Amino acid sequence: MRATLLICAKDLKARLRDRSALLIGIVVPLGLALIFNSIFSGIGGNSKAIALGVVNADTGVASRQFVTGVLQAVGRSGLIAIHREPSLRRARALAAGGTLDAVIIIPAGFSARVQSQRPASMQVIGNIDDPISAEVARSIAEGYAADLNRVRLSVATVAAGAPGALPPPARLRALAARAAAAAAPVAVADVSAKSKELDQKSFFAAGMAVFFLFFTVQFGVTSLLEERNDGTMARLLAAPIRRGSILAGKLLTSFMLGLISMFVLVVATTLLFGASWGNPLGVTVLVVSAILAATAIMALIATLAKNAEQAGNWQSIVAVVLGLFGGTFFPVSQAPGILSRLTFIAPQAWFLRGLGDLRGGSLSVIWVPALAMLAFAAVAGAIAMLRLRHLAEV
Amino acid sequence: MKALWIALSNLRRMFRARANIFFVFVFPMLLILVLGATFGGSASPRLGVVSVRSGPLGAALVHQLQHTPQLRVVAVATPAALLTGVERGNYEAGIVIPPGYDGAIRAGRTAVVRYLARPDQTSQQLGETVRGAVARQAALLGAARFAVAEQSAPSFAAGLSRAGRVVAAVPAVTVTQTSAGTAVFSRTLGQFDEGAWTELLLFLFLIALTGAVALIETRRIGVARRMLATPTSPGTVIAGETLGRVLIACVQALVIILGSALLFGVRWGQPAGVAAVVILYALVGAGAGTLVGTLFRNEQQAAGISLLLGLGLGALGGCMVPLEVFPPTMKRIAHITPQAWGNDAFDKLVGHGAAITGILPQLGVLALYAAVLLGLAAWRLRRVLVS
Repeated sequence: MRATLLICAKDLKARLRDRSALLIGIVVPLGLALIFNSIFSGIGGNSKAIALGVVNADTGVASRQFVTGVLQAVGRSGLIAIHREPSLRRARALAAGGTLDAVIIIPAGFSARVQSQRPASMQVIGNIDDPISAEVARSIAEGYAADLNRVRLSVATVAAGAPGALPPPARLRALAARAAAAAAPVAVADVSAKSKELDQKSFFAAGMAVFFLFFTVQFGVTSLLEERNDGTMARLLAAPIRRGSILAGKLLTSFMLGLISMFVLVVATTLLFGASWGNPLGVTVLVVSAILAATAIMALIATLAKNAEQAGNWQSIVAVVLGLFGGTFFPVSQAPGILSRLTFIAPQAWFLRGLGDLRGGSLSVIWVPALAMLAFAAVAGAIAMLRLRHLAEV
Repeated sequence: MKALWIALSNLRRMFRARANIFFVFVFPMLLILVLGATFGGSASPRLGVVSVRSGPLGAALVHQLQHTPQLRVVAVATPAALLTGVERGNYEAGIVIPPGYDGAIRAGRTAVVRYLARPDQTSQQLGETVRGAVARQAALLGAARFAVAEQSAPSFAAGLSRAGRVVAAVPAVTVTQTSAGTAVFSRTLGQFDEGAWTELLLFLFLIALTGAVALIETRRIGVARRMLATPTSPGTVIAGETLGRVLIACVQALVIILGSALLFGVRWGQPAGVAAVVILYALVGAGAGTLVGTLFRNEQQAAGISLLLGLGLGALGGCMVPLEVFPPTMKRIAHITPQAWGNDAFDKLVGHGAAITGILPQLGVLALYAAVLLGLAAWRLRRVLVS
């Protein structure tokens, strides 16, 4: 036990002195998270209200109902920001330039045409690069048009049921009034779902931290191979230390390096740019599970390599591939199709899933991701243990 | 001639390490694949739809949604799965058409469709699209129901079929749609196209920067000293070292361009234009890599700085999020990076079908970068080598 701790302490001191672990474990992930965050903070696509221009050249009831009733109701919800524009020319120019995302145009005489049962039309102009906003604007207009059409169709359906000539205008007006007052056959009820996605800041912080974790833990395990290269392994073995203590010391070094790196990164990203990691207890469980998984996988790869250089190369490749598929650069779990399931071959994906779920739920949600990572640790660790012993040889 | 041999030996040293082959060729291609599969193709928001035992009218509503532009409808089995999918961002929003939807409407009751949305704007805004589609279906249903209420039709089914007959003859209130402006986003890009050129620019620069590490190694293990001990002028050594980096970048670009074209069907645009961009960009990268290599003595420090610089400039230059979505000020700042000019050039070549004559300004700026960086690098390297 004492030997294990001594070996770990010696290795940690050496790693901190040569700065390489510091660079990979803290400086580079923190630097990248900071850079990504400062560059991309203004580009969040999910946060803006649609700038909707309205050109109302009509003075009648129907257009007023649409503009002050329907549109303003949507506007109050904060989904659209309504800009009244005096002229079509100006509104079109603003839409072309992207100042407005879309414009709804109500032509003169619209209400009169609506009232006199003639064809009537509204127009939507969308900025060409924002088809989704244009579609939202069109849907709002379509919804209103559909309601007007429902009344017209209701009257026409009833009128078509009566044999003979068209009913008198007074009866048609009465029918229209009743049809307009009828309850809609389908209602849409809003259900609010929580968001279990990490916000951008936290995603960069967590993604970079767990990506580089798989590099940081390498310093502990791989040093077994270095000791053998440098000939210090022979001296360690000659000393009255159990072989298991040497191995445990190296694994403990990996774990401690991972723990220091993750702790500093969690605290630093929270303080420096307000990343929110979530419930501290939950984060601790997830971080510890991730470090164990990373250490076990990297140890396993080290046992398959011939020398320290080969181990380093293979470990880097595995860390990078798992990082990519695990969604540390971009959320692969949101990909359509097979990729969204394939991502869970990587412990990194479970770590990020755990943090995301933790944000939208209670502490109990972290057990599945945590156990998944511990399963990686157990399987890779067991195989590594079987093979590790031969590393502690001369 | 000697410079060429130095360059070729650099190339050999690079690819003798198998791991380098992975990072230079395989990893960029993997990224292009995963990036394209995740974000490529349709940018339309995904709407998860649960429609179980909702009857013909439920199916008709799904059909209506499927034909709504700018919306991808994904069938989901259960409301619980839908909720999880929406919360985790697999769908932007979701709707549940309840079992018995059809029956409720036919019986004159109000059927309730549940709309699941996250608090963010995109998710909420999609609700308007769903409401629009529901309102369009409700026009016909409402008319049928009204006919029953007015005792004009004996049953809902009779009313619905009559409404269906007269709908074409009723003058409609319609909405027409046009678009304004000139497209910044190309409409003709394939699923992997943009990801391919942005990753190419990211990795050409990143690998060129790691040339800094190779250069420090060259000095540390004494290759530089031994070269200078032979009758070789420092100028030749400098030219050879730099040419080696350019050569590596060109081989890398060639493999990635051909590989992605063959494997993922990526289109790259006019070959002359692509070649011009790649060669100038390789010169820029070689200059930057050599310059960084002269500023540090420690390989690990240089590797860390290269990673930060390569990924940081790549992010700023539009290699991770396309420049088109940058706010105007940020876009101007982005153009201090060579990556931004490379991205502009490829956007013109691939996205808008430009020829080499259409990207002359971008090529000019890249040439300027190359000249300045290579000049600085040569000056620094001479001082480092000769001292």
